[in-house]
Amino acid sequence: MLGMLKGLMTTMQSHFRKPVTIQYPDERPDLPPRYAGFPGLIWDANVGEPFCTGCQVCARFCPTQCIYVTMKDNPKVGDGTSKRRKIVDEFELNVSCCTQCAVCVEVCNFDAIEMTHTFEMASYSREQVMNLQDMLSMKEKGGP
Amino acid sequence: MPEWVESIIRVAIAIGFVLTTVLVLIWLERKVIGHIQQRLGPMRTGFHGFLQSPADAVKLLVKEDIIPAAADRWAFQLAPALVFVPIFLTVVSIPFTRTLVVRNLDLGLFYVFAISSISIVGIVMAGWASGNKYALLGSVRAGAQMVSYEIPLVFSILGVAMVAGSLNLETIVDAQRGLWYIVLQPVGMFIFLVASLAELNRTPFDIPVAESEVVGGPYVEYSGIRWGVFFLSEYANTFIISALAAVVFLAGWRGPLLPGWLWFLIKTYAIILIIFWFRATLPRLRIDQLMTFAWKLLLPLAFVNLLITGLYLVYDWPRWILFVASVAVLAVASRLVYVVGRA
Amino acid sequence: MAESRLETVDMFINMGPQHPSTHGVFRMVLTIDGEQIVDMKPHIGYLHRGVEKLAEGLRYREVTVLLDRTDYLAALNNELPYVMALEKLLDVKVPERAEYIRVLVCELNRIASHLMFYGAFGADAGATTPFMYAFRDREEIQHFFEAVTGGRLMHNYFRVGGVRYDLPEDWRERLTKLIPHLRKGIVDCERLLSDNEIFLNRTIGVGQISAADAIDYGLTGPNLRACGVRLDLRRDQPYSVYPKLEFDVPTRSRGDCYDRYLLRVEEMRQSLRIVEQCLEQMPDGPSLGEVPRVIRPKEGEVYVGTENPRGEYGIYLVSRGGDYPYRVKVRAPSFCNLMALNEMMRGCYIADCVLILGSIDIVLGEVDR
Ligand code: SF4
Ligand code: SF4
Repeated sequence: MLGMLKGLMTTMQSHFRKPVTIQYPDERPDLPPRYAGFPGLIWDANVGEPFCTGCQVCARFCPTQCIYVTMKDNPKVGDGTSKRRKIVDEFELNVSCCTQCAVCVEVCNFDAIEMTHTFEMASYSREQVMNLQDMLSMKEKGGP
Repeated sequence: MPEWVESIIRVAIAIGFVLTTVLVLIWLERKVIGHIQQRLGPMRTGFHGFLQSPADAVKLLVKEDIIPAAADRWAFQLAPALVFVPIFLTVVSIPFTRTLVVRNLDLGLFYVFAISSISIVGIVMAGWASGNKYALLGSVRAGAQMVSYEIPLVFSILGVAMVAGSLNLETIVDAQRGLWYIVLQPVGMFIFLVASLAELNRTPFDIPVAESEVVGGPYVEYSGIRWGVFFLSEYANTFIISALAAVVFLAGWRGPLLPGWLWFLIKTYAIILIIFWFRATLPRLRIDQLMTFAWKLLLPLAFVNLLITGLYLVYDWPRWILFVASVAVLAVASRLVYVVGRA
Repeated sequence: MAESRLETVDMFINMGPQHPSTHGVFRMVLTIDGEQIVDMKPHIGYLHRGVEKLAEGLRYREVTVLLDRTDYLAALNNELPYVMALEKLLDVKVPERAEYIRVLVCELNRIASHLMFYGAFGADAGATTPFMYAFRDREEIQHFFEAVTGGRLMHNYFRVGGVRYDLPEDWRERLTKLIPHLRKGIVDCERLLSDNEIFLNRTIGVGQISAADAIDYGLTGPNLRACGVRLDLRRDQPYSVYPKLEFDVPTRSRGDCYDRYLLRVEEMRQSLRIVEQCLEQMPDGPSLGEVPRVIRPKEGEVYVGTENPRGEYGIYLVSRGGDYPYRVKVRAPSFCNLMALNEMMRGCYIADCVLILGSIDIVLGEVDR
């Protein structure tokens, strides 16, 4: 009987401790800076264009092949505002396959992509993709 | 007002009360266990999730009622009623206070046990009719367990009947003027609580419905409101057994200052909370250990209790001797639990 | 039953793949006589994703991503043998700080995995609260992981020649807060179950296996040590910085469910000791060594086995040059431990078989791969 009493005392004690859960949609979890949600593209504010050149390295290295990216000639090179000769044209990320592994971030030679804090990406279809605009706004969506 | 109208009104009120209580109990259990596990339990519907159980009830009502193809249709549909009705019939003789009772029966105690044991049939029927092996296993377990534990349950309360000299619940409460029977019959109380846990299929005796073994046992094929009825009757049964324990061992509505019905509720809920507390703490026994426990320990213990009570009555011992003897028996028994469990 | 003249038939019951206590998608076909088990046939493969084959189509750098997903409860412990194998092939030296970081996170992951075992085992035994206690503490570990690796379950943190990021700036504060928390959590867990008479009755003598049988079946890890064989690769085939750290290898003698349970609780304590030592001894320096930018190992093959929370997790890596591995074979401890299941289960009750399966602590992701 003693062992059972010990257990009963333990549960009694923990009844008076503070709950450790949070009320999720009202309270947000406090995420450390390194937290890896979905990847997002970074905006180069100085020039007014994304850092991404559409070089496709990330698409090639992504283990689940969920990135589709194309490249175009950068129109801003002509008037001398930008040094990037090529720039991303289309960028698609298949949300349902991205595993948030950060391989794309690691292989990118231009530091144009980084893991954001966005982790809420429920969707109604398997094919939901994020386009370039979504990818660029990802950082705002998920907080810092 | 003719008498039968009054009876119907009384019954309606009693059943309404029990149904509301069940909703409160479900909410309370989730809250209590939640806090024991350091989480919050339901929080969204109403203040601290107070409306969660009505919401669940509505959800169950609108859910599809599935009858499996392999099921025995009639038995399958009848089983919930067979579990539900006897439990609500027992409410009739539970005295909330001296006046707040549907009908005070002379054989009240006997009536409660006689009626409530019918519900076993319903559970076995549910398991058999589902046409599912897990349900069958569960219902066989339930049958074995509930029949075995019925016996110590009844014997445990016999001691009380002997001391009070009556099976009338009102008389029993009156006989506890000054001294509650928990003092005179601690062994009886212990056996009653343990056996009723088994009757209620609650942890640590939730073997028939064991989630991790037989996945809900007899209820595995039920859905929608039929399942809801089982659930409801389980909690109603919890309330009734606790109320009975409060009446028989804790002197029901007796107590200083506060009104009688409040005392009754306080005592009942105290017992209910203990049951919840057990549920949150203890693991489950195995079926053979369960049987050993009932037949080799609880039943002899109940007989010893009867013997001591009988001696006390025949030789007119002072009360403290009964108390001391009972505590001694309980102490010995708590050592024996271990030995018998091993064997 | 034998003397009864009634004709009895054994009943078949299909436990899993959808059953709450088969720990994923394991399936057992039980032949039962009443409540007793006569025979048991295990079926695996419901979670087969072809990790080993997929790995042949990925570059060396990406394979860790897949290995995370074999034993998903101890992802970091799976990455370790792979990067070690690759380092051997490439002849890369790992800086000491990186080794310490690896050991630190691996041991934390071991605790997280054992906590998960504790919770699931409690749930198998019918108690609801152990699971929540275990998750409460496991959550703290995962918060630490979030800060260090960015991931909660799938980290992809180890790299050839070190680790991906150095520890975050506030890691010391986080860890000094985490250790006492875990210590307290383990005490809670023990008080709840270890002495509980019901739990003792349920587990002692159940699913017993002798040391000789255990060795014959090829058990490793806690399951083997619970039978009394003191084999721990961290001590017997020392790798990384384990030789510099002080820890005991606990063993038990009976080899039943209770011993397996108690052993894992004890191992959590030992892992905590290692974590504390890592905290003290953590050297300064780089966290990633000199690594060629393109990983293209020479031809060759190598096997590295490490001590996973479940036993010996080994990687056999074959390279034929080029960017892609030729073969990545995983020696999965859960898969090998599962072999002894039939032996343990003979003649037990249905309720026991759930417990026995729980006490072996399998992860289906790794059994099926
Ligand atoms: S994100 Fe980086 S790697 Fe990917 S296409 Fe853009 S520049 Fe290339
Ligand atoms: S995080 Fe991983 S899976 Fe997702 S896009 Fe980047 S490389 Fe692909």
